[in-house]
Amino acid sequence: MSPVSKRDPRLGGGGGGGPDGELHTVMRGLSLQAPMPTDTGPAEVCPVCKSSRYLNSSLRFLVNPECYHKMCESCVDRIFSHGPAQCPIPGCRRTLRKHRFREQTFEDIQVEREVDIRKKVQAVFNKREEEFEGLREYNDYLNDVEDITFNLVNNIDVEETGRRFEAYQKANEKEIEENAQLAQQEKVSFSAMQKAERQQARERRDAARREENDERREVEENKRDVLNRLASGADAETVAKEGQQVQLKKRMDRQAATERQRQLQAASDSRNGSSNFVVKGLKAKQKAEPEAPIDPFGGIRIASKYFTLQDHYVWEGIQDTQKDVKHIAGGYDVRDYTHRSLCAAFSGLGVFIADEMTERDRATQDSEAIGTVRADIGLKDSLMADPL
Amino acid sequence: MATSPALDVPAEPPAKRRKVSPEPPGRNDTLAATAASPPAVADLAEQLDEQERKKYVKGKKIGSGQYADVFSAHLVTNPTKLVAIKKIKVGPEVKEFGISYDSLREIKFLQELDHPNIIKLHSVFSTKNQNLNLVLEHLPQGDLLKLIQDSQGITYTPADIKSWMLMLCRAVYFCHANSVLHRDIKPNNLLIAANGEIKLADFGLARAMADPFQPMTYNTITIWYRPPELFFQAQHYGGAVDVWSVGCVFAELIAREVMFRAWPENEINMVKIICEKVGTPTEDNWPGVSKLRGYVTPGDVVPLRPREEWLANFRAIGDIGVDLLIKMLTLDPRQRLTAEGVLRHEFWTANPRPSRLEDLPRKGGGVEAMGESLKQRGGELPRDGGGAANGRADRVARKIDFGNMKK
Ligand SMILES: Nc1ncnc2c1ncn2[C@@H]1O[C@H](COP(=O)(O)OP(=O)(O)OP(=O)(O)O)[C@@H](O)[C@H]1O
Ligand SMILES: [Mg+2]
Ligand SMILES: [Zn+2]
Ligand SMILES: [Zn+2]
Repeated sequence: MSPVSKRDPRLGGGGGGGPDGELHTVMRGLSLQAPMPTDTGPAEVCPVCKSSRYLNSSLRFLVNPECYHKMCESCVDRIFSHGPAQCPIPGCRRTLRKHRFREQTFEDIQVEREVDIRKKVQAVFNKREEEFEGLREYNDYLNDVEDITFNLVNNIDVEETGRRFEAYQKANEKEIEENAQLAQQEKVSFSAMQKAERQQARERRDAARREENDERREVEENKRDVLNRLASGADAETVAKEGQQVQLKKRMDRQAATERQRQLQAASDSRNGSSNFVVKGLKAKQKAEPEAPIDPFGGIRIASKYFTLQDHYVWEGIQDTQKDVKHIAGGYDVRDYTHRSLCAAFSGLGVFIADEMTERDRATQDSEAIGTVRADIGLKDSLMADPL
Repeated sequence: MATSPALDVPAEPPAKRRKVSPEPPGRNDTLAATAASPPAVADLAEQLDEQERKKYVKGKKIGSGQYADVFSAHLVTNPTKLVAIKKIKVGPEVKEFGISYDSLREIKFLQELDHPNIIKLHSVFSTKNQNLNLVLEHLPQGDLLKLIQDSQGITYTPADIKSWMLMLCRAVYFCHANSVLHRDIKPNNLLIAANGEIKLADFGLARAMADPFQPMTYNTITIWYRPPELFFQAQHYGGAVDVWSVGCVFAELIAREVMFRAWPENEINMVKIICEKVGTPTEDNWPGVSKLRGYVTPGDVVPLRPREEWLANFRAIGDIGVDLLIKMLTLDPRQRLTAEGVLRHEFWTANPRPSRLEDLPRKGGGVEAMGESLKQRGGELPRDGGGAANGRADRVARKIDFGNMKK
């Protein structure tokens, strides 16, 4: 079996030219097209230089998330050390950069790719549970994110999904960055917790891998079963038919899942009344940035834009006060008086009757029940902000 | 009622409310006039009263003071909207003028001041027998005094003190910036809202800052929290009187005991204890003080207490905090920080950061239990017992943290 003979037709090996060749910008550097299957040759032989692990036990294989084609470390060094170059795998014309090559974590290159996509999606859809009104809304959101991921992983509506992904990212740039920082902080301050989580993640990964191995073994067993039964003289036609049925059923399952996914997507599209991702059930933002510096004034400063207070006013009453020891020693500050007088003098200037009427209607019961008149106070310029 | 008969009467003990002389009438007399207005207007007023009164369902008594009883109540239309109704007791001046002065002050200033750390007055209505009812914001967490005194049940940190003090200082700054002197700042007039916010309450002794040469009473502010200039009978003073009281509250929060607790509670003993703890007011540290009418100091001159002594007594709040305290409890009101100066002090932005509202200790039910129940979001039911975290994992759609799978 030649490494390239069984390339997935969807790969559109035409590189730059074909409709699939141009990756959507969002996912640039991450192949959305399913890469070629892994079973393209003995895992121990480099498809480029044909070096084999039998001869060189330290041989290391690397992949680049641009196309996920596997090759050995020395090939990577040789081909990409002088700058970006084309993937040497025949038919793949993607331009690869050396720094993006890495070791494959998962045996199955599909899993490898899915993990990459998930990481990418999660970096953008990084909303936190506490931002939602409730658990329900949060779960709905996770579900939507899963839909997106599923589409990208399974090459459903890649163009459209990518476009909406990008639109979402642009629209939520700031929140995404904030949440990323928050997550970073938590990582630092709760490193112990992180450790435990990493442990859990490892367990989950192991579980996923086990599951996958099981699946593969099942397929193989199935195949072997067919062969055995044929070998033991069973009717070839029946066995073939049964085998086909099993295969058919699996394909139908897959198709059904895809179809269901499409329907869900369509439903949620019409629900949102727009083709962009809209996250629903978010709590109204009210929490202040946790690390914003303390403003002792709490955002409220009483200052007038109409006048500046002077230290001295030429008016007998004021000058007398400033000379009177009983005023001075008692802590009477004549500036309080001049300030108040100026406030009163200017208090009409920033007032718009219409606003005042609304304000009064809102608070009718306050004043009218006892017939007081709201006194003028220099509040027009004050600004309210969240406490602490 | 232009001159005050009470001016020279010694203050009553702080446990009881001082009957302060009526302030020079000014804007107040329109109010008094309305209350005793002719029948035609009274009818309309009565109708409005009736309307307002019928909006609330009165519940049980939640507090009582010298001049008022406070009831919990809720809106007829919405039982979850709680309010507090402060029913003013009928005093002698009500018989004379138709309305109590304390409640007049309270209504007048609360209507003017709209600030997150000042108690909100929703509305006012009166009942047939001239009883005034103030519909106030409901503040179910008690007052700061209860927290200070519960030294067995409640511990708090310097960050908590900073948080409470900052809220108090913002409220005082706001009053002063609007030309209002509170004149009764003390821990039991600092009420605590459901979310932990401090609310400056009880404006029964408040007044507008006076014009030059317009005398004010010096017989005001609960005696332990009263500044030296008032003991020396200054009749022209300013926001500095409140700043002294704030300083007393600050010291009390740190030491968990009243800073100037004179016993028996009289002016002489108060001046004595202030001299002991801060230093004797003299022309040197307070120019002009000897010209004040009531200036007397006991015995030998005590030099101003050195900073080291303050530091030793209030170590817990740190150097910067002690610096602020000293500047609030400065004898000469002109050298004392203004409310704005207080907010400009570096204490607030220095470490530690003031506690967040949800982290502040509260009374009752144990700090732990309280803290828990308050972390719940509004209207949210407690998550089913013990396995909150585990139970959740099952109900949340599977979310694997792929970011952590590879470095
Ligand atoms: N808005 C409110 N919500 C809850 N409780 C309140 C409220 N207002 C007052 N109280 C309670 O009622 C008590 C008396 O209230 P307040 O201090 O306003 O009355 P007062 O007559 O001025 O009392 P005093 O002169 O003794 O300080 C308070 O100590 C407090 O426990
Ligand atoms: Mg009170
Ligand atoms: Zn090679
Ligand atoms: Zn390639």
